[in-house]
Amino acid sequence: MKRRKSRWVAGSIAIVLSVVVFLVPFAFIILTASKSATEASQFAFTWPTQFMLWDNVLEVLQTRDFLILRAFINSTILTVSSVAIMVVLAAMMGYVLQRRRGAWTTAATYMVLAGLIVPPAVVPTVWVLQSIGLFKQMSGMILIEVTFGLSFCVLLFRAFVATIPRELDEAATVDGAGPLRVFFLVVLPLLKPVVVTVIVVQSVAVFNDFSGPLYFLPGDENATVQATLYNFQSQTLSQWNLLFTDVLLITVPPLVLYIFFNRQIVEGMVSGAVKG
Amino acid sequence: MIEPKPLRRNLAALAALSVASIAMTGCSVGSFGSSDDGKTTITFQNFNAADAVKASKQMIAAFEEENPDITVKLDTIPGGSDGDNLVKTQLSTGDMDDVFAYNSGSLFQAIRPEQNLVPLTEESWVETVAPSYLPAVSVGEDVYGAPSGTSSPGGVLYNKTVYERLGLSVPTAWDEFRANNEKILADGEVTPIEQTYGDSWTAQMFVLADFANIAAAEPTWAAEYTENKAHYADEPALQSFTNQQQAFDDGFFNEDFASATYDDGVRAVATGTAAHYPILSGAISAVEQNYPENIDDIGMFALPAKNAADTRLTVFLASAFYIPKSTTGEKLAAAKKFVAFTQSAKGCSIFLEGGVSGPFVNSTCTLPDSVPEAVQGLQQYVDDGKSGAALEYLSPLKGPSLPQLAVEVGSGIRPAASGAQLYDEDVKKQAKQLGLAGW
Repeated sequence: MKRRKSRWVAGSIAIVLSVVVFLVPFAFIILTASKSATEASQFAFTWPTQFMLWDNVLEVLQTRDFLILRAFINSTILTVSSVAIMVVLAAMMGYVLQRRRGAWTTAATYMVLAGLIVPPAVVPTVWVLQSIGLFKQMSGMILIEVTFGLSFCVLLFRAFVATIPRELDEAATVDGAGPLRVFFLVVLPLLKPVVVTVIVVQSVAVFNDFSGPLYFLPGDENATVQATLYNFQSQTLSQWNLLFTDVLLITVPPLVLYIFFNRQIVEGMVSGAVKG
Repeated sequence: MIEPKPLRRNLAALAALSVASIAMTGCSVGSFGSSDDGKTTITFQNFNAADAVKASKQMIAAFEEENPDITVKLDTIPGGSDGDNLVKTQLSTGDMDDVFAYNSGSLFQAIRPEQNLVPLTEESWVETVAPSYLPAVSVGEDVYGAPSGTSSPGGVLYNKTVYERLGLSVPTAWDEFRANNEKILADGEVTPIEQTYGDSWTAQMFVLADFANIAAAEPTWAAEYTENKAHYADEPALQSFTNQQQAFDDGFFNEDFASATYDDGVRAVATGTAAHYPILSGAISAVEQNYPENIDDIGMFALPAKNAADTRLTVFLASAFYIPKSTTGEKLAAAKKFVAFTQSAKGCSIFLEGGVSGPFVNSTCTLPDSVPEAVQGLQQYVDDGKSGAALEYLSPLKGPSLPQLAVEVGSGIRPAASGAQLYDEDVKKQAKQLGLAGW
């Protein structure tokens, strides 16, 4: 009886904490997004005297000739493409690096570590992009995001492949499967938990990246959603209500996706935890 | 066991989508040609603050109307250090827009103008720009930039209704300012001086906005400072730090000075809960946006010097439009035309519609009666010759730790003399980095 009570208390505290940490900031965003510029500049946690959310949304959408819509298309293309490439490449690399031992894989492992350690330099990267004609191109930006994220993903996949018994590969080979079929039909399906993890982590990272597109994908036709945030703030004059409306608009699509794919995400991560 | 099939289908769909999207963007991006059917297209990059974007668009529309054979495309960059880095990257990779806006003064010197920019000395509009502005966009004899709008003085924003109620007059010397504050404090209704260290840049105003006063007392100070012969730890410059400490010691500041933000400060002075707020004149635009009914209640005066005769308005000069060396041929001619257009009477009127918060530095431009009284008061200082450029336009030295040191001095954590001395140390590092002679 006593034990049940203490569990109940602990559960309540956890719920209250998560409300404070996650829902209160979100409520603040919605409230501020519903205010006039004057009220928003006070940063008070109060109910707006005039509920202007819809006006603010319209104004944000119309800013700079619907720039934000173009930014949404760009950000979606960038995120989906680069995460897709990252998942496929990193899974393949992680599998090979874990299964084969030798001078080449050791060298490759060091390159992967170097990818984590060496900081990306902006100007030389721009030179490289210019010389191969990919500067200011979405495809170039996708390659950069893939490069930035690949090392981390490879390490995740390599560690996870270690938990898959070698016997499975061998059984498939005995049944007559070639290397590609072994990977795509036997190994990749077993990697689902870590695939889900990589998709979640990297989607958030790419979608939220501000400085990458700022330097490597300049120009208004290439704007991403994070860049639109800067339309509403400057040193002495900021439209906080519009800024928060923009934040709200940017937060909603990932949130909706999470609600829809909630089951798959949790399932993927949990099945990994049990097996690992 | 997890069923393999759905995942594979999802992955395949993802891959197909990504390939399709790459193909799509490959066509749509980068299709801006330079000159088809005799038209020249130039690109123009400005800061993405709302009023700058609005003015830029109107400027482009008016310019294209006058020059039907030129098309101008607008790009925007964020302000602050992100923008600084971006501009430097664009210049060093030869990928700058044909005309771009950037700061004047020490930041302009840092982008290596001789190497990266096209000199505009021969342009006819140069004559109309105020001689006090030109050094901020010149290297040696060559002028590289055209002012992009109005300058932004720093001073003390004050509430006129408080002044009327207590029968105060605008102070011209520090002691008068102090006496005014004593009266306001004794009255007990409002805060004498609003301070907002939640945005630490606002803490620097006692020092930065005091510089024209120092320069008035000692005209050669900026040059000596650059040569390591004058320092903040000595008078007359030490006075700036002393003033801030004294204001704190006298208890003039608002209670929440340590955490209040810039927007709190604007509200306090606009609605009359504080009498003074030392800040940039851009705050007048913020009052106009957020408290339009209070816009006639506020005014602005220069931060008072020790001697009334030395009191000058410190002016942070307007940013400028520049043309990079990577712009050549037809585009260069078009870019020069566009820059010249921004300096014409028509160009000025468009800046005005975008909202102004300070005086013009171009003689073809005048402020109309419709701008807030506070701004007109600032123009008066300039017209009377009672203004001077801020230090950052006369010397390349500005230490990065000034906001933090000013917060310490203004919070009573560190005495003025110690703050000034540490700031000199901070500047020394920067001078060595810049390789200046005499350090």
